[in-house]
Amino acid sequence: MTETGVITGAGPARIGIGGPVGSGKTALIENLIPVLEERGLEIAVVTNDLVTKEDAERLQRTGLISPDRVIAVETGACPHTAIREDPTMNIQAAERLADLFPHTSVILIESGGDNLASTFSLDLVDYWLFVIDAADGDDIPRKRGPGIVRSDLLVINKTDLAPHVGADLGRMVQEGDEVRGGKPIVLTNCATGDGIEQVVDHLCHDVLFGY
Amino acid sequence: MISIHLTQALGHAGDPGIAERLHNLSHRGCVDYLHVDTTDINRRRQRLTSEQGVDCMITLPRDQLLSNGAVLELADDRAVVIRISEQQWLKLRPRDCAAALELGYLAGNLHWREKFQDEILAVALQGPEVAYLERLHFFLNDGRAERAPV
Repeated sequence: MTETGVITGAGPARIGIGGPVGSGKTALIENLIPVLEERGLEIAVVTNDLVTKEDAERLQRTGLISPDRVIAVETGACPHTAIREDPTMNIQAAERLADLFPHTSVILIESGGDNLASTFSLDLVDYWLFVIDAADGDDIPRKRGPGIVRSDLLVINKTDLAPHVGADLGRMVQEGDEVRGGKPIVLTNCATGDGIEQVVDHLCHDVLFGY
Repeated sequence: MISIHLTQALGHAGDPGIAERLHNLSHRGCVDYLHVDTTDINRRRQRLTSEQGVDCMITLPRDQLLSNGAVLELADDRAVVIRISEQQWLKLRPRDCAAALELGYLAGNLHWREKFQDEILAVALQGPEVAYLERLHFFLNDGRAERAPV
């Protein structure tokens, strides 16, 4: 145990971030990195893309994180298979980062963009978020996709776009609550950073103990 | 509320030595239980409140898993033992081979966890049963499959 009371023997926590294409998963990570660092956490990231390394390269260019702390996994097939049915490639990537950077406290694992049915294996992650875009329709939560229902934290992103497409955020939260049995939901706007502290508060309470 | 970190499984409640210590602690009301849902047993990190109201932050090594009866703390004044809720199953009996093939395909396509018991397909429920029945209503309504006793 460290002076701050943080358990280190178990290695870094692993947090999954899933959600449909364009929902803002990479933007969320870009927002999470500085806030997690402010709280004293050392971060590494695994990204998943179908046949490119675009998300990893985007993060590496930001200057928010040392480029060698970001590893890209190219799934080559349906992205959910690499985070659920056979997460071997992602487990190996996370273990490689933990070996290379032994003081890492959290590894963020971004899924490739997928549909509402994608979920994470708990062999891969300790906790996972599902990100949806408010502008994709305020009926998404009540459609009860496994990602919506089973995720530990539902993030409704791009809240600034809701009024432009007639999406009712209150309804999204209410119907999300109903299908999730009270598990937490956070509204975010990654363009302004709104809601990011709340996301990190949940992570620190539920899985990043001691921060 | 008291908060504690639990960082490893020390053994099982039935292990010689541990069982005796738990027995002695139980006379003083010092054996506390953590109830874990079956869907969460693969989690290495989670935060739960024990029966006695202790806030437990679990951080297990990657090579350890929670199991029913696992002992996560064994001190002079407190033991913490895991109790895992019983897995609920939805058992289905297909009418014939063709229905069995279709049912197996559906279950696989929906990524359900299942096991085979002779002619029964048993689906491990990881959410409300009604959500599973909604996906099966065509099978159940036209008789291609029926529910079998649990």
